[in-house]
Amino acid sequence: MTEVLKLLTRNVGKPNSTHVDAYMGSGGYEPLMTVLHKWTPEQTLNEVKGANLKGRGGAGFPAGLKWSFLPRGKEVLKYLVCNADESEPGTFKDRLLIENDPHSILEGIIIAGWATQAAGCFFYIRGEMPAGARIFQKAVDQAYAKGFLGKNILGSGFNFDVWVSRGAGAYICGEETALMDSLEGKRGQPRLKPPFPAGYGVYGVPTNINNVESYANVPLIIKNGASWYTAIGSSSAPGTRLFGISGHVKRPGVFELPSGVTLRELIYEHAGGILGDRPLKAVIPGGSSVPVLRADQIDVTMDPDGLKAVGTMLGSAGVIVMNDSVCMVKALLNLMEFYAHESCGQCTPCREGTHWLELIVRRLEEGGGRPSDCDLILDVAGNIMGRTICPLGDAAAMPAISFVQQFRQEFEAHAREGRCPMRDVRMTAAI
Amino acid sequence: MPLIRIDDQEIEAPQGETILRVALKHGITIPYYCYHPALSIVGQCRMCLVEVKGAPKPLTACSTTIGALPPDKKIEGKYDMVVSTKSETARKAQRGVLEFLLLNHPLDCPICDQAGECQLQEYSYTFGDPASRLEFEKVHAPKRVDIGPHVVFDVERCIKCTRCIRFCQEISKTGELTLSERGVHTRVDTFPGRKLDNPYSVCTVDICPVGALTSREFRFKERVWFLKSVNSVCQECARGCSVRVDAYKGEVLRLVPRDNPQVNGPWMCDYGRLITERMKGLDLAGRPLLRSGSAWQGYEWKDFGAALVERVGGSPASKSESWAVVLSGRLSLEEMAGAQAVSQAFFKRSAGPVPDVAWGEDDELLIRKERRPNLMGARLMGIPVGEQNAPLSGLFAGKKAALILREDVVGDAQGAEKAAIQKALGAMDLVIVADSSFTETARLAHVFIPLAGWHEMEGVYVNFLGVAQKTARAVVPPRDRRPFHEVASLWLTAAGHDAPEPTFLGWHARVKESVPGLAETSIKELLPHGLQVLDAPAKKKVKKGEGA
Repeated sequence: MTEVLKLLTRNVGKPNSTHVDAYMGSGGYEPLMTVLHKWTPEQTLNEVKGANLKGRGGAGFPAGLKWSFLPRGKEVLKYLVCNADESEPGTFKDRLLIENDPHSILEGIIIAGWATQAAGCFFYIRGEMPAGARIFQKAVDQAYAKGFLGKNILGSGFNFDVWVSRGAGAYICGEETALMDSLEGKRGQPRLKPPFPAGYGVYGVPTNINNVESYANVPLIIKNGASWYTAIGSSSAPGTRLFGISGHVKRPGVFELPSGVTLRELIYEHAGGILGDRPLKAVIPGGSSVPVLRADQIDVTMDPDGLKAVGTMLGSAGVIVMNDSVCMVKALLNLMEFYAHESCGQCTPCREGTHWLELIVRRLEEGGGRPSDCDLILDVAGNIMGRTICPLGDAAAMPAISFVQQFRQEFEAHAREGRCPMRDVRMTAAI
Repeated sequence: MPLIRIDDQEIEAPQGETILRVALKHGITIPYYCYHPALSIVGQCRMCLVEVKGAPKPLTACSTTIGALPPDKKIEGKYDMVVSTKSETARKAQRGVLEFLLLNHPLDCPICDQAGECQLQEYSYTFGDPASRLEFEKVHAPKRVDIGPHVVFDVERCIKCTRCIRFCQEISKTGELTLSERGVHTRVDTFPGRKLDNPYSVCTVDICPVGALTSREFRFKERVWFLKSVNSVCQECARGCSVRVDAYKGEVLRLVPRDNPQVNGPWMCDYGRLITERMKGLDLAGRPLLRSGSAWQGYEWKDFGAALVERVGGSPASKSESWAVVLSGRLSLEEMAGAQAVSQAFFKRSAGPVPDVAWGEDDELLIRKERRPNLMGARLMGIPVGEQNAPLSGLFAGKKAALILREDVVGDAQGAEKAAIQKALGAMDLVIVADSSFTETARLAHVFIPLAGWHEMEGVYVNFLGVAQKTARAVVPPRDRRPFHEVASLWLTAAGHDAPEPTFLGWHARVKESVPGLAETSIKELLPHGLQVLDAPAKKKVKKGEGA
């Protein structure tokens, strides 16, 4: 069994872990002092770039490289954004950090601010996380009181502010440009790109946006060095990952493990195996938007390359486990309802297509489906895929396509039998 | 300049230009809804998806710009971009988007005003599938939303291209509209407590590619394929917007702006457009009339010339200083030339002045406070223009006779001024009024000449920027009304004077002699966008309250 590495979660569970004194007691804010007093912004940026820190929001874009897209120099007004709008179904890793160790995120943000010479950071937190918003705001207040934020931080001449901003309940506002529109008080709708945020971001100012977990990695990289970091886990996507496991496992939760651990080990060792000791049926390995895997496909490493080999993605590393009591049509219906509800509605294929998919899948599940519905789902999803402004269209199309491809017989059985063939199993499994 | 290929056309296109603009310029059809040349680019409808060589997925032609490749990276050795608008990939993407757009569209074309000029209809025939694959109830939404005083909104027909929203944000700058709700329930909406109510609101109807926004005044009036359209010029201010006049069975049913970059762009104001409403119920006169005492006597045109000559010649007021000759800025150049000729032949004096009637304020888009379309024309003809809104009673004081053309001097005046004009005209020996309706002024006339309306004749008008544009006849006058230049020919020849042919062209030749900017021009040059006949004033933003 792979050894559990408590790096990002080092303070989780410790008493008073959200307080600045507790954080400093375990060496917190020392990396910040190091960069402010000894490193140039360029050095700081290069260290993170060298660590090959892959973004933890879902797309996996190298964070250091992203920082380097911002215009250089203190004179240019720039902002950072921390994307804490964690709302991907099956994903709950950022919440753990926000609620248990806000200072590690905050320190990462301030270091990123130094590296990019930004003026401040908007911390955009999902509206449904009131506790997280409260805890993080308190952490920000404490950081101001200690002089880690504000004017002339620790005598370095560097000014940096953090503003906490709460979302209003839209999944789409986790998309970086929709988040920015929402921050500005507008209707949260993805922007047409280009221009990219690095040139035109919040309020039209060059902006860098990263995920909570990405920022939380930064103090670790500064403290231990890029070469230490790249030695952990897979070489292509180094470091540890926070795997959030939910669904039919005995021990659901967030597990910090080096990237590259196998999916089988994750489910059967760390998460304690399948609930009810029933057979495994399907796994969504990276949040609800990525293609689903069958039970015979779980001997893969949980890193981008390993999952790419079986046609799926690491995404947000939210693992959703389903045992044999699950009706795949019903599971897909659940997802389609979600995406149809959350489509922002600005561009045609996603607005109309997600709704149509929901109707088709619901009809199948309720017994009115046609044998041709499988092909219809594939065709409609294919017409959404790659045709939309933002990735929400793809996020809805990918599960639709993969569910049908991986479990086509079950979909066809629904149409053939005119009812859900899993109904009895679902009733008796009672779990 | 980058060299690109669209389908099989090789095109040199400027760097940074979008595929769609280049394609449209070269006559290549790419379907689109949300794109509009005067509005920002949002790439929302996804209708203009095309295949771009090397791109992993279809790209929107409206937002994809053309760049230059380094020499060793050129596609097929020479192209900077290779675009296919008709390949299987492109067609499948276009078909797919169109199917999505039609999914919840009510397809109530038989009762929809847009039918016949609907882009959704047109593209469906060109790019769509004949059958729908939707086997579910469509999403329903309100059908007759009272969104503004001149616009009715059918939410079901809307395809969410957001052109109307962007118009209100970027052009009228009033920002009444937004998208509300999410997903398939997304709809265009007004902000709480607001209406789509701005001086240009009906432009949203023009740019709506479907029948979602319809004009309250035009809806259900006539199927658009029956309309007879001519190019004309709006008569309601000195801007003189280029318009298309749509008429049917002798009635002007709507005015639509024609895109004219040097005058109005693609827009026009609601006030100008709604001249159709103000034309209703006018007291139209059909025959020339002479009054003796309180009895009116109708004449045939063929007898009218002689009657007119006799009446004027028999008037004791034959001396030039006893005549007031008031022309309107609504007269065409040709009519002004006719009035000038008549005035010189019979009253031995020049015509004029032309009152400068103004109200309201100039705005930052189109509207001018000078409310006559041909004031600049009068200036170019050498006819004096009065001070802005100067009282007219002074013009009539002490005069014995008056010729008043197309200006309701009594009806437009108020209070003491109105009484003074009425008194002055009432005391005169001879009052000749020529207008297209029987106005209050006409009631005081001894001679009434029925003129063709602006929509019933051809004429040239010069706007405040000095752009001369020609109108065409939208309807044949249902009664025998004539433009004043035709009347002038009649009048002059009846008295034995030389006169041009009683036609537009005959008098336009006379106009060309007096307006230097028109001297060497042909009528064709006045179409469709007009001709600059005087040096345009320096382009600067017109500030409020800063008028002529």
